[in-house]
Amino acid sequence: MRGWSFLLGGLIVWAVHFFALYAIGSIFLTTPIARGLTLVATIVCLGWGAWLLRRAWRAARLTPLDEWMRTVALCGLGIAGVAIVWQALPALLA
Amino acid sequence: MTSETGFDPALYDRFPTQQERPPEELEELKRIWCAPKGWRLLTAVNNNYVGFFYVATAFLFFLLAGILALVMRVQLSLPLQGILPQETYNQFFTMHGTVMMFLFAVPMVEAIGVLLLPQMLAARDLPFPRLSAYAFWAYFVGGLCFFASIFVGLAPDGGWFMYPPYTSTAYSPGINADFWLLGIGFIEISAIAGAIEIIVGVLRTRAPGMTLDKMPIYAWAMLVFGVMIIVGFPSVILGTLLLELERAFNWPFFDPTRGGDALLWQHLFWFFGHPEVYIIFLPASGLVSMMVASLARTPLVGHSLIVLAFLATGFISFGVWSHHMFTTGMPNLSVGFFSAASMAVSVPAGIQVFSWIATLAAGKLRFNAPTLFVLGGLITFVIGGLTGVMVAMVPFDWQVHDSYFIVAHLHYVLIGGMVFPVFAAFYYWTPMTSSRPLSERLGKWAFWLMFMGMQVTFWPMHIAGFMGMPRRVYTYLPGRDWEIVNLISTFGAFLLAAGVLVFLVDLARNFRFTTDNDAGNVYGGGSLEWLPTGLYSTRSIPVVKSREPLWNDPQLAEDVEEGRYFLPGSATGLRETIITSPIRAEPQYLQIMPGPSVWPFLGAVFTAGFFLLLTVQAYFVSFASAVLAVACILRWLWDTDRPVHDETVDVGAGIHLPTYVAGPRSHGWWAMIILLVVVGMMFIMALFSFLYLYGVQPRFWAAPAGLADLVAILPAYGLAAGLAWLSRFMLAREKTERWTPGVLYLCAAAALAAGTGIDLWSWHASGLRPDASGQGATVYALLSLGAVLAGIALLMAVYLAARNSRGMIVRPRNNSLDLCVLWLVYAAGQGAITALVTRLVGAI
Repeated sequence: MRGWSFLLGGLIVWAVHFFALYAIGSIFLTTPIARGLTLVATIVCLGWGAWLLRRAWRAARLTPLDEWMRTVALCGLGIAGVAIVWQALPALLA
Repeated sequence: MTSETGFDPALYDRFPTQQERPPEELEELKRIWCAPKGWRLLTAVNNNYVGFFYVATAFLFFLLAGILALVMRVQLSLPLQGILPQETYNQFFTMHGTVMMFLFAVPMVEAIGVLLLPQMLAARDLPFPRLSAYAFWAYFVGGLCFFASIFVGLAPDGGWFMYPPYTSTAYSPGINADFWLLGIGFIEISAIAGAIEIIVGVLRTRAPGMTLDKMPIYAWAMLVFGVMIIVGFPSVILGTLLLELERAFNWPFFDPTRGGDALLWQHLFWFFGHPEVYIIFLPASGLVSMMVASLARTPLVGHSLIVLAFLATGFISFGVWSHHMFTTGMPNLSVGFFSAASMAVSVPAGIQVFSWIATLAAGKLRFNAPTLFVLGGLITFVIGGLTGVMVAMVPFDWQVHDSYFIVAHLHYVLIGGMVFPVFAAFYYWTPMTSSRPLSERLGKWAFWLMFMGMQVTFWPMHIAGFMGMPRRVYTYLPGRDWEIVNLISTFGAFLLAAGVLVFLVDLARNFRFTTDNDAGNVYGGGSLEWLPTGLYSTRSIPVVKSREPLWNDPQLAEDVEEGRYFLPGSATGLRETIITSPIRAEPQYLQIMPGPSVWPFLGAVFTAGFFLLLTVQAYFVSFASAVLAVACILRWLWDTDRPVHDETVDVGAGIHLPTYVAGPRSHGWWAMIILLVVVGMMFIMALFSFLYLYGVQPRFWAAPAGLADLVAILPAYGLAAGLAWLSRFMLAREKTERWTPGVLYLCAAAALAAGTGIDLWSWHASGLRPDASGQGATVYALLSLGAVLAGIALLMAVYLAARNSRGMIVRPRNNSLDLCVLWLVYAAGQGAITALVTRLVGAI
C-alpha cells in the first residue's frame, strides 16, 4: 500500500479537503464559523500536501518505475494544491 | 535493481530462450483451452467467448433503446401528435435512459474490457473466468426480462433516476417502479462482479515486467473504472433497496411526514449517478488513448499526465454529485463548493483532450474509419464539456434545469465521450476477433451519417431548452415556436439511425467471429493484444520492456509464438496463468484456473429469476429460485481452491513458481478485500442515510435502545472476530483435534449471529418499529444489513465444514478459510459500529 499512497497522496489530500468542506457546509450552513473552518481545513490540507511534496521530491529514483511514480506523485500534488485553493474560494471570497 | 517480491529482475535476461519447444506442447495447450461446442457453448468461460457475447448483448440493448428514442422523436416531431399516449411515453423515456445507461453503456465498456484486457496484458484469461460468465449471464437474462416489461405495459415510468415521492407507492402504485428497483439493483450486482474481475485482472495478471509505467493506458482506465464501480455502485444498490423497502413494507426512508426525506434518495442516487458518467467515459477515453497513438503512428503524448487525469477524475467525480441538486435549496456555501468542484473536473478531461490533439498533431494521421470516429467523438465531447461548465455555474443551471438544454448537454457528453469512441473501437479492434476487418468505405458512410445525425438531433435541443421546453413532456401545444427545432431534431435522429444501420450492414457483410484466425494488426498497433493468439491467449507470455512492445521489438511476435517466453505450454496440465505483483509485475505464482462449467450459467439464471419473480410478487417461486442460485454458486465454488500435486513448477527458462499461495499474496484475497469494500460502501451509505435523517428530521428522533445492551453485543462481536482469526492459526497446527478451524469458525459465526440478534432484540424491546419513522427505518435497515452478513457467515461455516469433511481445507494455509475469516471479521466490525452509532446518535 505504501507505493499506492505515495502515488495517490496528492489526490487523497484533495479528496479529504473537499469532503471536509462539504461536511462543514452541511453542518454549519452559510455562517462565519463555516468560513473559518474552511480556512482551517484548507491550511491543514495545504500543509499536509506540502509535507508530501517534500517527501516525493526526495524519493529515491533507482529504476524508471521509481522515476515515473515520482513524476506522477509530484504532478498530483501540484494539481491538488491548486484544486484545494480553488475549492475553498467560495467560502473565502464571498 | 529493486524488487517488490524478492524476484530477481535479472532472470528476465534468460528470455527469449533459444531451445526448440516440444511439438506436442502447443497441441496440449489447445486441448486444455478449447471451448465447448454446440449448446455446451453456454458453459464456456474463455474471455474471448464471454467478451464477445457481452459486447453483442450490450450492442443489442443499444439498438433497442435507440428504437425507443426514434419513436419518441416521431411523437415530438410536431405538436399534439398522438403516436404515443402519455403513459406509454413515460415508459419509453424511462426505458430509453435506463437501458442506455445500465444495459448498454456500463456493460459495453465492461464487455470490451473482458474481451481486450487478457490479450493486452498477455494473460491467459482474467483471474475469475467463471465470475465473468456469471456476470454476463446474469446481465443477459435479467436485462432481456427487464426490457420485456415494456411489451406488457409494466415498464418503469418514473424517469431513469426514479425520484420519490413520484416513485413511492402513493403516486406509483403499480409494479412498474419495482421492475426498475429490483431489476437495476440486480444488474448492478452483475456490474460489480465484472469490476472485481477487472481490478484483480489488471493488478495481478499483467505480463512479467509490465510495471505500472509500462501498463497500457487502457488498463489504467479500466483500473480506475473498476475502482469507481466498487465505490459508486453500492450507493445506488442501497438506494434501490431502501426505496423497495419503503414500497413493500412502508419503511419511511423518503417520506418527510414520518421523519424521512425525499432528498436522501437524490443524494444516494447521484453519489452513484454522477460518477456513472465518468465510469462510462474513462474506459472510452482509454480506448481513444490507445487508438490515437496507433492511428497517428506515434507514442501517446503525455502518457503520465493522462494516467494522472484518469486518477484525478476518479477522485473528483465523487465530489460533484450535488450539482444535480442545485435547485433543491441546499445551503449556499455547499452550492458554491459543488459548483467549484464541478468546474474543476473539466481540468483532467481537458488534459486528455489536449493530449489526444497533441498526439494526432505529432504523428502522421490517416483518415480511416476509426480516426473519423475518434475525431467526431472529440469534437462532440468538447461541445458537451463546454455546456457542462456552463451548467456548473449555479445561476445558469437554475435557468436551464430540467429543460431540453440538459438533454442536449448529456447526449453530447455521452455520445461524444462514449458512443463514437466505442464505434471507433469496433472498427479498430474487429480485426482482432474477426477473420475479416470491417469495410473502410461503409465505415466512413456510417461515421458521416452518425456524426451529422448527432449534431442535427441534439444541437437544436440547446435552443429548445433556451426557449423553455421542459424535458420529459410527451407533447406540446402549437404556437410556442418549438415546432421547427423539434422537427429538425427528429430528422437528425433518423439520420443517426441510418448511420447505425449502415454499420449493421457492415457487420453482416464482414464480421466473422474467430478465436484463432483473426485478420491481424490492420492499424499497426504496438500493444500486446496484436500478438498472435488462440483461445489460450498468447502461446507464451512475454517479458514486457516498453509501452509499445510490438513497435520496439519486431521479433517479439515470432518469439512469443515459438514459445520462447514464460509458460510456453501448460506446466500442470490444467488451465493456468501467471500471477504477478501489483506494481512491478514480478512473477509470484501460477494460478490454476477453472474451466467451462454449467454452474455459473445456472447460478445466473436462478439469481435473475429470484429478482424478477420477486418483482411480480411470486414470492414462493422467487425464494426457491434464490435457494437454487445459492446452491449453484456453492457448487461452482466447490471445484475451486484445489492445490495440485506439484508444489512448484518450471514456468520457462528454469524459473520455478509455486502453484498454490494463500494470504495477502493470493488473487482470491484481493478479490475478497474488494468485495468487502463494496459491502463497506453500502454500510457507509446506510450510515450516511441514518445521520442525514437525524440532521434534517431531528424532531422525529426517539430515545435509542439502551447503552447497557452493548455489554452483551460488543463482546459477542469481539468473540466472533477473535474465534475466526484463531481458526486461521489453528489450521497450521497439525495436532489440533477438537478445536479444529471448522469448529472455531462455526462458533465464530454463531457469535456473530448472536451479536446481531441481541442488537435486533434490544431495538425491538425499545419500542421503535421500522415503519414508525426515518430513524426506525434506517436503524432496522442497518441491522438487516448486519443480519444478511451473519447469514452469509453461517452459510460459509457450513461450506467450510463440508470442504473440511472431504479433506479440502489443506494445511498450513487455505484460501477458502482465509476468505471466510476476512468476511466474518469484517461483519463483526460492521456490527459493532452499527450498535455503537445507532445508540450514541440522539443519546448524547
